[in-house]
Amino acid sequence: MKCPPFSYHRATSVDDAVAALAAAGGEGKILAGGQSLVPVLALRLARPDVIVDVDRVPGLDGLELRDGVLHAGALVRHLALAGQALHPLAAEAARWIGHTAIRSRGTLAGSLAHADPAAELPAVLRACDGAVHVAGPSGTRRIGADDLFVGALQSALEDTEMITGVELPVPDAWGFAEFARRHGDFAVVSVAAARFGDRLRVVVGGVAGVPHLVDAGDLATVDGEISEDRVAILAAAAADDVDPADDLHGSARYRRALTEQMTARALEQLTTTVREPA
Amino acid sequence: MTPTDEHAPASGTPVRRKEDARLLTGRGRFVSDLALPRMRHVAFVRSPVAHGRITGVDTAGALEVEGVSAVFTGEHPAIAPVALRAQSGLPGYVETDQPPLARGKVRFAGEAVAAVVADDRYLAEDGAEAVVVDYEPLTPTVCAWAEPEHPVHEEAPDNVLLSRTFRAGDVDAALDGAAVVVDRELTTNRHGGNPIECRAGVARYEAADRKLTFWSGTQVPWIVRTQLAELLDLPEGNIRVIAPDVGGGFGVKAVLYPEDVALCLMAMAMPGTPLKWVEDRVEHLLAATHARDHRYVLRAGFAADGELLAVKADVWCNTGAYSVYPWTAGIEPLMAGGLLTGPYKLTDYECTVRGVATNTSPSGPYRGVARPSTVFAMEALMDSGARALGLDPIALRRRNLILPADIPYKMPSRLVDDSGAYEACLDKAVATFDLDRWRAEQSRRRTEGGRPIGIGVGVYNELTGLGRAASAGPRMAFRTGHDACTVRINPDGAVTVFSGVTSQGQGLETTMAQVVADALGVDYGDVEVRYGDTDESLWGFGAFSSRQAVISGGAAHLAGEHVRGRALALAAALKEAPVEDLDLRGGEVYMAGQEKPIISLAEVARVAYLQSDRLPEGFEPGLEGTKFYDPIRGAFAAGAQIAALEFDPATGEIGILDWVCVEDAGRIVHPVIVDGQIAGSIAQGIGGAMYEHLVYDEDGNLSTGTLLDYLMPTAGEIPELRIGHVSTPGKNPTGVRGVGEGGTLAPNAVVAGALADALGVEVDDLPVTPARVWELVNP
Repeated sequence: MKCPPFSYHRATSVDDAVAALAAAGGEGKILAGGQSLVPVLALRLARPDVIVDVDRVPGLDGLELRDGVLHAGALVRHLALAGQALHPLAAEAARWIGHTAIRSRGTLAGSLAHADPAAELPAVLRACDGAVHVAGPSGTRRIGADDLFVGALQSALEDTEMITGVELPVPDAWGFAEFARRHGDFAVVSVAAARFGDRLRVVVGGVAGVPHLVDAGDLATVDGEISEDRVAILAAAAADDVDPADDLHGSARYRRALTEQMTARALEQLTTTVREPA
Repeated sequence: MTPTDEHAPASGTPVRRKEDARLLTGRGRFVSDLALPRMRHVAFVRSPVAHGRITGVDTAGALEVEGVSAVFTGEHPAIAPVALRAQSGLPGYVETDQPPLARGKVRFAGEAVAAVVADDRYLAEDGAEAVVVDYEPLTPTVCAWAEPEHPVHEEAPDNVLLSRTFRAGDVDAALDGAAVVVDRELTTNRHGGNPIECRAGVARYEAADRKLTFWSGTQVPWIVRTQLAELLDLPEGNIRVIAPDVGGGFGVKAVLYPEDVALCLMAMAMPGTPLKWVEDRVEHLLAATHARDHRYVLRAGFAADGELLAVKADVWCNTGAYSVYPWTAGIEPLMAGGLLTGPYKLTDYECTVRGVATNTSPSGPYRGVARPSTVFAMEALMDSGARALGLDPIALRRRNLILPADIPYKMPSRLVDDSGAYEACLDKAVATFDLDRWRAEQSRRRTEGGRPIGIGVGVYNELTGLGRAASAGPRMAFRTGHDACTVRINPDGAVTVFSGVTSQGQGLETTMAQVVADALGVDYGDVEVRYGDTDESLWGFGAFSSRQAVISGGAAHLAGEHVRGRALALAAALKEAPVEDLDLRGGEVYMAGQEKPIISLAEVARVAYLQSDRLPEGFEPGLEGTKFYDPIRGAFAAGAQIAALEFDPATGEIGILDWVCVEDAGRIVHPVIVDGQIAGSIAQGIGGAMYEHLVYDEDGNLSTGTLLDYLMPTAGEIPELRIGHVSTPGKNPTGVRGVGEGGTLAPNAVVAGALADALGVEVDDLPVTPARVWELVNP
């Protein structure tokens, strides 16, 4: 469990990092908090030629609310996200990530770029229909949450791109529920639910290659209160809509049942977290 | 203050642990901390296939990697002549060879095939990647109760390395006469010890004087020395084994591994170049010993009043690819057959146990050895019997427990139980737990709603401190009944103890100091303990079978008493006082009836070492003594655990609401250490019951290769444990009973029993995970 050889570049700015990635010709990898990359390196599952360390690039740790959207820098730590009050859904979800040591190192953009379908923040990004800002050799672009996650541990980022910032719209009401084997583990199943006006977005983690946006059809349009019956119907619809696989921690059948339970819990929470109109 | 108060015994009090100053401040001295001049690092090339013939090994590419200085394979002349061969005199036992590095074929995924020596571990792993091994795959056998297609070892075509039937009375007749007969088929989950520090070794060979020094994170340095001498053909006195601070063992490190032997052989082939191997977690999960992969097919008969009349059992233990060295494939099956009936009286018993080779990592000793599985099996029979008879499960257990009046009780396996404290433990556990309160809460939830609660019980005996008559291990070439201890009073009156113990964090340094301080009559603070170095101490078999407090503690006490006698005799001669009137307390010699000491131990020691002109006639210089101790039999330790768990039928989520354990540790030397042992072993038991599972796929690949998938409980998963004690002193010099393992024995039974009690579903396969709970409730 020792990483293979690589060369190391400590980036001083986004431009510097992007240039280093470009110079690596697709064989570069960004290191920030290191909570996903370092274990992958130790297991020799990744063999980048160049590690581009962006951990000390200034100006990437901001948290700012503008027009109902939380603009977060790429290097915002899970601990900072968990501790802020501007986006309560992101705060709640961040508290479920790992343990203190992991939360104090791991970064928002790192988690999104790693694109683990059982991780908390990709589910939140998708539930909030957020987006990432990306810098690359040909300039910057914006990738919406629905397009960012391509498959398990695969994002739409090019090898020469880095996330510089994240947009997280603040929902009018929200809920988050997770079932994990142990405190701090990746979810067996997690559910992030967000209501924007009369639109409900429910995203299930741990049941597919990407955080799964539940297609609830007309059920996803709500006005005012969500009744207990409606919660049950939505939960059943979510369970119907997912297509999980068997694995060591449970059968597909079990994950479907958990999807229903976690969706219900998230929606119950959502009914109690209505944001006061500004 | 009277002198007695001033010098209260160290035993029985929570004195500050001697090892903690270094262990708690990050100044421990572990094998991985060792840095020697010219030292190089080793990485093993491990087989990716579970079963296959090796058709070629190409090391040329590895030798071209920067920093790589040597590559060894199983065919290397330094390695090829040597094989580990676990030996036992048991009839029908099939002996097999385990090469230090695979030769001819590989028998499990993870087996070491080659070793690369390089300037550091990174480069060694680069080199290991460049070794090319060709395999011709053979069909692997993963399950111990499946027909093999290609046997693991040619010597055992059916893969059975050992089989034995325990028989007492007439079990079939007893079953015929039973009011109810219950059948259970159970499997327990393969898991392992997983100490924080994985395996580690540094081997250095000096060719000029043929001396080998092996620093090893072992629990058994003297066994390692003896076995290495045999395997390496060196005089035993030329080998020094040093176990420095060791970060946990749990039995996993009570084994001499092929990697250890390979490391020493390679060091001998590279004289003057110390070689270091520090195992990482991936290797540990893959290739350190596993345990508890068992199947039990059980039938029990009960009389209408709940008396247990008969137990008939068929047991399969998966021993993995090799008979673990030096304990043999018998370690789990023989323990399973010998202890299955646990704390219950029984005359009619038949149990056939088998150790079956498979293409998986070898099984070895792990805290509790087989008994977490057998207690699960026995308590499952008790719970099923109680349900069939409509009796209270605790009352049914009480009906059958071995009681003080039955002691000594010859178990149907002919082991002799000297405890009988089971009912005392169970009574106290039930009272501490407040069973009535939990039963009331259970019915309240049944009527008013809320997650169902179940109450689980496990009663068990821990076989501790085994002497020569009941020694651990199946008819091996050595008997592990004794240890030695040397107590030396230094010229300044302070005491150095050379103990045969090893410690992996369980505080033996402290415990031995307490015992010696009290036996000798000096302050705890004046005693220093050396251990784990075969060149310093005389002899100790090491840490396993909950033996060290009993056996090494006994030797420490006897050595302390002996040296106390010598010191008092010298003091008596110097002060011209009758020796029978003298007492040694707190390092001072007192005369009966006098408040002030007549001479200090320091002055007595000064005479003994430095002032021979003052030595009375007939006294030799020096003040030291060595004693061995062997308890001959052993000290059974009783225990009972009872817990309330709640289950969410919708998610399978399991919550532990209360967990009580009462054990009989005999006379307690250090209360906090004892409670720590019990708490730690319950935590490991809960790990086995609810989380830890090493899973192989059909091809023999380990699916749980990292701690992402192999789940161990953290502090967040372990409840506040309520620990109580009863004390019936053992028949040994310090009156202790071992406590290292007992806690692991009950959690399987407790968790499974609680699930059945809560939801009325019998769980036959462990671990009890949320997914399994949900599947049982939603079939």
